[in-house]
Amino acid sequence: MKGYRKYFGKKIFWFVLTFVAAVILNFILPRLMPADPVASITGKLAGGNADAQAVARIYEHYQEEFGTNLPMYQQFLRFCKNAIHGNFGLSFSQYPRSVSDIIGSAIGWTIALQLPAIIVGWLLGNILGALAAYIRKGFDKVLMPVSLFLSNVPAFGMAVVLLVIFGVYLKVAPISGGYAFDMIPHLSWDFIKSVISHYQLPFWSIVLVSIGGQAVGMRSMSIYELNADYVKYSRFLGIKDRKIVGYVFRNAMLPQVTGLALSIGTMIGGALVAEIIFSYPGLGSTMYAAVTAADYPLISATTLIITIMVLIVTFLLDIIYGFIDPRVKAAQVE
Amino acid sequence: MGKVMLEVRNLKTKYVTRFHEDVYAVDGVSFAIEEGKSLGIAGESGCGKSTLALSMMGYYFPPLHYMSGDIIIDGQNISGMDPDTVRKTILGSEIAYIPQAAMNALNPTQKIIRFLEDVIHAHDPKKSKAEIREMAEARFAEVGLPLDALDKHAVELSGGMKQRTVIAVSTILNPKVLIADEPSSALDVTSQKLVIKMMRQLMESGHVKSMLFITHELPLLYNVTDDIMVMYAGQIVEKGTAQEMVFDPVHPYSHGLMGSILVPEEGTRGHKLAAIPGAPPNLKRPPDGCRFAERCKYATADCRYTAIPEKTFGEGRMYRCLLGIDELKEAYSHE
Amino acid sequence: MKNTLRQVFHSPKFVGGFVIFLAILLTMFIYPLFNPGNPLQQIGVGTFAKPGTYVSLYDATKAKTETFRLPEAAENRLAASLTDEDRVAMIEYFNAMEIDISDLDMDDTDALLQMWEENYDPSVRPKGMTGARVNYFKRLNNSLQDLKSGDTLIIAEEGEDGELVESKKITTTDYVNTNAVANVKTLPLGTDNFGRDVLKELVSATGTSIMIGLLAGTVATIIGLSFGLLAGYLGGFVDDFIMFITNIFTVIPGFVLLILISYSIGQEQRGAAVVATVIGLTGWTWTARSVRSQVISLRNRDHVNLSKLSGHSLLRIILTDILPYIASYVVMAFILQVSSGILAEAQLSLLGLGPRTTEVPTLGLMMNWAMLYSAHTNGSWWAYFPVILVITLISFSLNLMNTGLDQVFNPTLRD
Repeated sequence: MKGYRKYFGKKIFWFVLTFVAAVILNFILPRLMPADPVASITGKLAGGNADAQAVARIYEHYQEEFGTNLPMYQQFLRFCKNAIHGNFGLSFSQYPRSVSDIIGSAIGWTIALQLPAIIVGWLLGNILGALAAYIRKGFDKVLMPVSLFLSNVPAFGMAVVLLVIFGVYLKVAPISGGYAFDMIPHLSWDFIKSVISHYQLPFWSIVLVSIGGQAVGMRSMSIYELNADYVKYSRFLGIKDRKIVGYVFRNAMLPQVTGLALSIGTMIGGALVAEIIFSYPGLGSTMYAAVTAADYPLISATTLIITIMVLIVTFLLDIIYGFIDPRVKAAQVE
Repeated sequence: MGKVMLEVRNLKTKYVTRFHEDVYAVDGVSFAIEEGKSLGIAGESGCGKSTLALSMMGYYFPPLHYMSGDIIIDGQNISGMDPDTVRKTILGSEIAYIPQAAMNALNPTQKIIRFLEDVIHAHDPKKSKAEIREMAEARFAEVGLPLDALDKHAVELSGGMKQRTVIAVSTILNPKVLIADEPSSALDVTSQKLVIKMMRQLMESGHVKSMLFITHELPLLYNVTDDIMVMYAGQIVEKGTAQEMVFDPVHPYSHGLMGSILVPEEGTRGHKLAAIPGAPPNLKRPPDGCRFAERCKYATADCRYTAIPEKTFGEGRMYRCLLGIDELKEAYSHE
Repeated sequence: MKNTLRQVFHSPKFVGGFVIFLAILLTMFIYPLFNPGNPLQQIGVGTFAKPGTYVSLYDATKAKTETFRLPEAAENRLAASLTDEDRVAMIEYFNAMEIDISDLDMDDTDALLQMWEENYDPSVRPKGMTGARVNYFKRLNNSLQDLKSGDTLIIAEEGEDGELVESKKITTTDYVNTNAVANVKTLPLGTDNFGRDVLKELVSATGTSIMIGLLAGTVATIIGLSFGLLAGYLGGFVDDFIMFITNIFTVIPGFVLLILISYSIGQEQRGAAVVATVIGLTGWTWTARSVRSQVISLRNRDHVNLSKLSGHSLLRIILTDILPYIASYVVMAFILQVSSGILAEAQLSLLGLGPRTTEVPTLGLMMNWAMLYSAHTNGSWWAYFPVILVITLISFSLNLMNTGLDQVFNPTLRD
């Protein structure tokens, strides 16, 4: 138990530290912009299509919020205080909605889309990779080049291809939005059906892209484990091959959890862009809208939220990994 | 003379490589071990001694292939048996194996007791978990291993402990033959002693009826086994008791090998290490004549082209050389 | 070294990837020789012209004609002008007239027209058909007859007194040789939303994107390599500090940083080189990690210790005793960085944070334009599909090379 405690302690320490660093970066980067950030933010906005009154109102609001005339550390404290209260200010482009309100309505869609898609892609990819390593021969020869090719299709590319084939030509699934555009979100059978049918294309495009990479990784991990000494030893003790294959795949799969933890940031980046293609009402589309409309507060808050989401997922995966793989615990005790 | 536990007759196996160039790694090996006895196999690395160990299990997977010969365990010929029958009735229970790199022989993510359950269930699916734990605890206590090691994962054990655990696991079903392939080579001196002590104990208590011990460390064989065979390029070149082999080797290769070791108790420290020049032949195309001829100081033209027979002499001794014993002794005395 | 190279070029995976990548590179250099000019030039006024060869209609009417009596000409003409809508309408008419059409294939223009000839009767009004519909069929029949009889087109010019004067007659049997037409333009991939030649743009964009990838990869590799070498070789506090930074940047998604930085820079300042540098600055972490672990396994080797005892400088030890041993890893890491750099540019551009749009096209910008103008929903596949294919092929070829290298340098992965 001592090993676990030390392990958790270390992980929590890193989690907090990274969180602080993420907040600091979020604070500093816009302030590195040349000249007065408030002026350049609202300056960009002036070229947009918001009405003049809103611009003036926002300018005052942000001068207040950023406190550009205050010393740096006070600005930072103000920023932290606002962030803790979930106050990310007002949106430029969707004035007078608050940023936290916009993010609040988008975050659920993103989590509901990406979490299951990444998990399903991870599972399918691992199963295929393991099969390829075990069966070899024809299956492997076909599956591996296909997986390698698939893993190199960018997420947005897969999204467009699926959209065109299934949405535009075959017309089996809707191509845009999270639900039919003439509906108002409410709990009814029709609405749920609409959500599910809109879910298909974005979901499968993320799944397909993640399958490839996972399969390739799992295959080489499994081949490595199949050649391990314990396989030969277990065979010579008369243990059935099927049981030994079980050992091998468990051992090969566990490091894949770390692989997932390390790549989740990249995967979410790709998946966010896939959301844009489908105009899915999640954080990716929110960010796109924010960038197009030069809505700085919304961009800043969206990136912070995504960072925090990735942090939490990585942290959870690390913890799970520590529990299921005794090799990690042993390494921590040493 | 005791009951013969293991008899190997003219065993031949090969490795099939990617380009169908076969490597004849074990080429006509015959020997026998009686109950309660241990036999050591010595030789340079690559001489085929580890392959011999693998070949005797009667259970082959690529690239190793069985060609011909018999492996008889306590009167039962296991060569040519259906692999699944071998797995169920022979492996682990009749003949057990301790691998070369015992460090990695245990599945790192499995508890030792779970692995023991798998081993025992492979032969006797009806045994309950409680019975197995009882069995394992009794054996661990007997050989002086801590009982809490049973509930640990392999990664949590130290190197020496891992090796002793592997030995305990291998012998849990009281095999008639134990094949140990360099079980102590990678260990420090203290652990090495514990391992040797444990193997002797298993023999003495009768849990293990006979043992084949493979190593490149000759002094160790002298201390551990009753008889010693020397292997060269896939063949046995000489066989005798440990005493005879160390102090009175006949074959030029054994002679060279014994000369290359330091025997501390004989006060030979500082004695010049007589390494044998040259390298063993390529076993993809073994030579027709003596395989050692290229490196042998005493070889004649005949040696290279004549097939060399096994010659027996004394009390069950054997050597494989064209020259007579007296000729060889004469030659050695001039060194 | 020579032996290693030979091994590398014996790996089918490496060779496969290398050939694909080389083919892309060669196209990049050779194609502009045949089709020079500014890839961003707008040649079309409309959007999304289909791929194909365009013949100047004006020049064609001026060119010398030959007369050919090709048997299938009339049929082809009919088939081309008979829309799917017309065909469906004809079937509807047959059904209304209760004619057995079970053997009729709608795409077989000949059979369809023959059936129409035999069965269309303007004097009969099928049961239940509205007057408007009857008139529609009359019009359809007339236009079919026109096409069949092959009217002569008359080209007229304005005379001196403002009257139209016939200058040329064009009959259905007149042909011109495309070589005789002054202006013929082949657009293998049509035009994009701005009326630009997609293939020319694509070739230029591929070049820019590869340059972005190379620059991003170089920046990332230099940073990652330096950090990894220092952390691994020096150990202690330097190691702790560098790993602290590395861990933080591993967990914070690079993509998020890219967005923040790119936005902060502002579009006017974002040239392709700036974007590439920013991508490199956010992507170095795993190079640093893997270099560090390699160096740690090397730093206590005998030859390194010998160098240390000989009093060689840190730089010299790193350059002569460590770098050569990790060179293969660095090359592999660089290849992966290039491929992820190209992908990162594409994703940034799709978000509208790519390089400024006025100088050079990039693969990401082309994708962004195609999406902005809904090429994917209006059937203009040529505007986006080749872009996706090129990105995938570049990344696929680089990864294939990498897998090949990995198998050569890490023999345990070999089958």
